[in-house]
Amino acid sequence: MATHKWQTSEEIFRLFRSIGRASLLYDIQDSHSGNMAMRWRNQAGEEIVVITATGSQKGDLEPNHLCYLSPAETDFGYYKASSETDIHVRILSLPGAQASMHAHVKELVMATLDDQPGPKTPPPFVPVDPLAFYHLGPEIPVDWFAVPSGSPEMAKTIPARLAEHPLTIIYGHGAMTRGRTLKEAFYHLCLANNAGYIVRLIERQITPRNVDSGSKDDASEVLKARRQAFLQELRTKIKAAPERHFHFKPPAYNIEIDGRCDFPDEDEILKEFRKAGNRIFESRLSPFHTGSMSVRGVDYLLYAPQASRPYEVGGPLLRLPLAPAPGDDRELELHKKIYAESDFQTVMHCYLPEAEAHAHYIYPGEDRPLDRIVPVDAEGSFLYLAIPVTGPDVSDEELIRLLHDYKLVVVRGGGVWAVGSQSLSEVLHHPSSLREICLYRIAASERGLDLRRMEPEKASRW
Amino acid sequence: MAVAGYHGRVLEVDLSSGDIRVRPLQAEDVLLYLGGRGLGTKLLYDRIDPTVDPLGPDNVIVIATSPLIGSQAPTAARGHMVYKSPLTGYIGTSNSGGAWAYGFKATGYDALAIRGRAPHPVFIDITPEKVEIRDAGHLWGKNTHETTDILTAESAPGNPCRALVIGPAGENLVRYAAVANERNRVYGRCGPGAVFGSKRLKAIRVRGKEKITIADEARYRAGLDQALYLMKQAPITKRLLRELGTSGLILLINLINMLPHRNFQDVEHDEEKLERVSGEYIARNYLEKAGSCYLCPIGCQRHTAVKGADGSVRRGEGPEYETAVLMGPVCDIYDMDAIIRANYLANELGLDTISFGGTVACVMELYERGYLTPEQTGGLELRFGRADLLEKLVELTAHRQGIGDLLAEGSYRLAERCGHPERAMHVKKLEIPGYDPRASYAQALGYMTSPTGACHLRGGYAVSLAFFGGTREIPRFSLLQSPIAIRNMQNTGILQDSLGICRFTGFAFSVDPWARIVSGLTGQDFSTARLEEIANRIASLERLFNLEAGLNPEEEDLLPARFAEVPIMAEGKPRAVTLESQLQMRRDYYRARGWNDDGRPGQEFLRHMKIQRRNNRI
Repeated sequence: MATHKWQTSEEIFRLFRSIGRASLLYDIQDSHSGNMAMRWRNQAGEEIVVITATGSQKGDLEPNHLCYLSPAETDFGYYKASSETDIHVRILSLPGAQASMHAHVKELVMATLDDQPGPKTPPPFVPVDPLAFYHLGPEIPVDWFAVPSGSPEMAKTIPARLAEHPLTIIYGHGAMTRGRTLKEAFYHLCLANNAGYIVRLIERQITPRNVDSGSKDDASEVLKARRQAFLQELRTKIKAAPERHFHFKPPAYNIEIDGRCDFPDEDEILKEFRKAGNRIFESRLSPFHTGSMSVRGVDYLLYAPQASRPYEVGGPLLRLPLAPAPGDDRELELHKKIYAESDFQTVMHCYLPEAEAHAHYIYPGEDRPLDRIVPVDAEGSFLYLAIPVTGPDVSDEELIRLLHDYKLVVVRGGGVWAVGSQSLSEVLHHPSSLREICLYRIAASERGLDLRRMEPEKASRW
Repeated sequence: MAVAGYHGRVLEVDLSSGDIRVRPLQAEDVLLYLGGRGLGTKLLYDRIDPTVDPLGPDNVIVIATSPLIGSQAPTAARGHMVYKSPLTGYIGTSNSGGAWAYGFKATGYDALAIRGRAPHPVFIDITPEKVEIRDAGHLWGKNTHETTDILTAESAPGNPCRALVIGPAGENLVRYAAVANERNRVYGRCGPGAVFGSKRLKAIRVRGKEKITIADEARYRAGLDQALYLMKQAPITKRLLRELGTSGLILLINLINMLPHRNFQDVEHDEEKLERVSGEYIARNYLEKAGSCYLCPIGCQRHTAVKGADGSVRRGEGPEYETAVLMGPVCDIYDMDAIIRANYLANELGLDTISFGGTVACVMELYERGYLTPEQTGGLELRFGRADLLEKLVELTAHRQGIGDLLAEGSYRLAERCGHPERAMHVKKLEIPGYDPRASYAQALGYMTSPTGACHLRGGYAVSLAFFGGTREIPRFSLLQSPIAIRNMQNTGILQDSLGICRFTGFAFSVDPWARIVSGLTGQDFSTARLEEIANRIASLERLFNLEAGLNPEEEDLLPARFAEVPIMAEGKPRAVTLESQLQMRRDYYRARGWNDDGRPGQEFLRHMKIQRRNNRI
C-alpha cells in the first residue's frame, strides 16, 4: 500500500478551484456535476491521483473536496472520491494523459440527441468549426450506455475511446476528455461545447421560411430533414477538403508557455490584458484558451496567444519581435502582417460561435451564404454599418484591407478579426458587439421574420 | 488637375512686389497631402527656405482648404494656416473654425500663399473676378472686431463678405499674436498674427459663390449619412459641448489630477474655488446662448455676457477650456469675471490666450521667486492670483508697453532674459496647454513630439485616451503603449486638420466615415489605409521642415525639467515623467514614425514616403 497521506497542496487546490469555477462560468456543469482529476507526484515522490470529491460543488471547491488516491489500488481516499473515479484512473493510465475531466457539455449533448429508441449506436459527431475539427478530430465518438454514469461499461469503453481521441461523448450525458494538463482537458471540453453550439445555431437558422414545405402536417419533418441535409452537405464538404472550408488550422494547444509572462512590471497593460481575456471568456467570445490578442509596440508586440482566459486561470503573455520569425504560427503571423500593413495598435482574433454559425446563413431564395452582416438592432446599427463576411480563402491582403475599412471582419471557418487604433478595450468591443448583432439576427430568423426587411435601408449604401 | 472637390488653383500674392498670380494645384500634391494642413505644409515647404527670419519678408503664409470645404460635410469649414512661427522658429500651424475658409473656397481657390512685405498696411481683397492688394491705413490700429465690422459691411444679401484679420497684437509683432475671423474664431497658436503684422497685412477679405463638384454623389452621401447619424448619437457631440462648452472639462480634468496650477508647479486646487471657473458655472452665470461654426451641428461656442469693471454689461465669446485654465488656475486665478473680461480683450486685440496665460504664469513665478523685480514690471506686483491685473496685462502685451514688451516675447525668451529659462513651461518655446503631462505619459510624449511645440491638438489629444475615450481609453502611465497611441492620435489630428473638420467630431467617430465622404466627393481612393499613409507623410514633412529650420531633437524633443524632477500625485502615486522615460518613449516614437533613432527621417524613408527635398523652390 502506498504510504501517502490525505493531504492538501495549495497549488493543486488553486488550480482545481479555478478550473472548477471556470467550468461553471462556461456553463458546462450544473452545481454539483462533473469531475476533474490529475496525476501528481507528491513531496514524497509518490505518484498519486488527485480527483474531486463526489457531489462537490465545482464552482466553490474547498480544500477537502480534493481526494488523493493511489492510482494502483483501492485506499481510503476512494470513500469520498467521484463516482467516476474508476474511469478517470484508467484514463490517467493512458500514455501522456496527466489530467482528465468530465463535464455536461450541454450544447454538444443537445446537438447529438436523437429520437431513436435505445439501445443504439449513435453516429460520431462531426464538427463544422475549425477549432473542434482540428483539435478534437473530424469525428468525435458518441457512445450510448445503458447506465451512463460511473458504470463499469463506461470504465471499459471510455478509456479505449480516449486512447484514440482527445474527447469522447457520452450520449445524453456529457463528455470525457484527457489532457497533458488540467487546463488542456478543460480546453477540450470548451471546444466540444462550442462545436455543439455552432451546429445548433446553424440548425436554428434554418426555419420554415427557408424551407419549401408541402402541407402543414409534414412541415416539422420537412424542416428536420432540411436541417439534417444542410449539415450533412456541409460536413461532407468539410471532411473532403477541410483546408477549403477553414481559414487555417488553429495553432495546437501549447502547454510549454503556460504561466509565462514576459512583461510582469507593466501593471497597467497587464490589467488590460487580464480584463480583456476574462471578458472574452466570460462573454463566450471565444472558447477557453483560444483566439489571440495583441498590443503593438514599436518593434515588438505584446501577445496573448490564448486570449480567452478567466481571471483566475490566466494564460501566457509574450513579448515578441514584430518582425516575422520562422517559428511563428499562422495566427501570430497574421497579427504581424496586420501591423506591418497598418497603424493599428491592437488586434484581436476570436472564434465567436454566433458569428461562425451566422456566416453560414443563406437568405431565403438565395443560394449562397451572406457576405455581410447588417445589424438589425439599435446598438448594432449605431456601431456598424455592415460587417463583411469573407470566405475562408480570403487573402491576407484582402483581410487587412477590409479591416482598414470596417475594423471587424468575419471569416467563415476562421473566426472574427478585429483591430483598434488605441486600446484592447476598443478592439474587444468589436467581437462583443458582433455577438449581440448575430444573436438578434439569428433570433429574428428563428422567429420567421424577414431579415432583409429589417435591415436599414441606408445600410445598403454604407 | 481634375480632382473633384478642388478648384485646382493656388493664389500667390507677393506683397513686396504687388505681384498676384494663379498657379495650378498639382494633382500629385492633393493625392499625397490631401488638403488643409497637409497641403499647406507641402505648399509652404516648396516655397520657403526654413531658415528664413519668420518676421522677415521671406516668410510665407499658406492658407489651405480641403476638398470637403464647400460640401455639406458636418463641421467642414475649418481653414488651416501654415508658416514659420516667430515664437518657436519652427513650423507654425494653426486651425480655425468660423466661416472664412468656406468663404475663401467660394472665391474659386484652394489655397493662398502670401510672401513679401508691403510698403504700407494693406489688406487683400479676393473675389472670383478679381484679387486686389488694397490700402489698410484706415484699419491699422483697430481691433479685430472693428476691423471685421468695417470689412464685412459691404456684404450683399446671399453673398457675404468674410474677413480674416489681425488686431494690434499682430501689428506690434507679439510673438503669439493670433488671426481672427467671424470676430472671435481664432487661428491662435504659434503667432500667425505676428507674421501677418510683419508683412503689414491687416486682413484678407473674401466673397464668392463658386461651387465644387462631387464625383460620386451616392458614396459621398453614404458617408455623410453615417457621420451625421453618429454625431447625433454620441453624448459629447450631441449634448455636452453645446451645454457646457469645452470648459465643461475643467472639473473632469481636475478629477484625474491633470489640471495645472501655479505655472505647473502642482495640480492641487481648492475645489470650491475651482467650481467658480468651471463650465457648469459659466453655463449658469454667463452663458447667453451656444453658437456654431459654419456647418457645425455641435454648437460649442459660448456667447457670454459679463459686467465690466465700470458696471456696464459686455458681451463676447468664451472662455474656452484652455483660456479658462491658462488665465485661471495656472495663474492661481479663480475669478471668472476677470478671466472673461481678459478673454474678450485678448480676442479683440488678437492674442493667443494659451501662450498669453502661460507667459503670465511664468512671469508670476519669476516675480515670486525674485527673478523679476518691481522695477522690471513697471511697479506691478505680479504675484500669483492677481486677477485684477489680467486685463491690464493683455493691454500692455498687445501694445508691447512696459512689462508687456517682455510678455510679448513668450515665456521662454522672457524667462531666459531673467536668467531662469527653466521656469518657462514650454516645448520648443510654445507654452504648454492646460493638461499636466505628468498625469498622462501619452500626453507628455505628445507635447514632446508635436511639430509645433507643446500643443495638445498637434501633439495628440491624449487626455481623451487617458480618461474619457470610452473604449479607446489606454493606460495613463504605460511607457510601452504611449508611443504608438500618440502617433495614432497625432495622425487622426493631422487628417482632421487636412480635411478641414473639427476635432470634436472625433468624439463621435474616427476617420472611417470621412474616408467614405472624401472618397465619394473626390472620386479618388482615400481609404482609411491611404489616409493613414498620408498622415504619416505629412508628419514627416513637418519634421523635415523643422530639421531644416535648425531643430535639435536631442535637446528639444523634451519636456521642461520640472516634469521630470517634481512629481505630482495621480492615482495614488507620485508621478513624474523621468528623463529616462522620456528618452525611451521618444526613441520608440521615432521608430514608430519610421524615423532614425536620432529623430531624423532617413533618405530611404523619405523616398518611400515620396517626400521630395526640393532645391528648386517656387
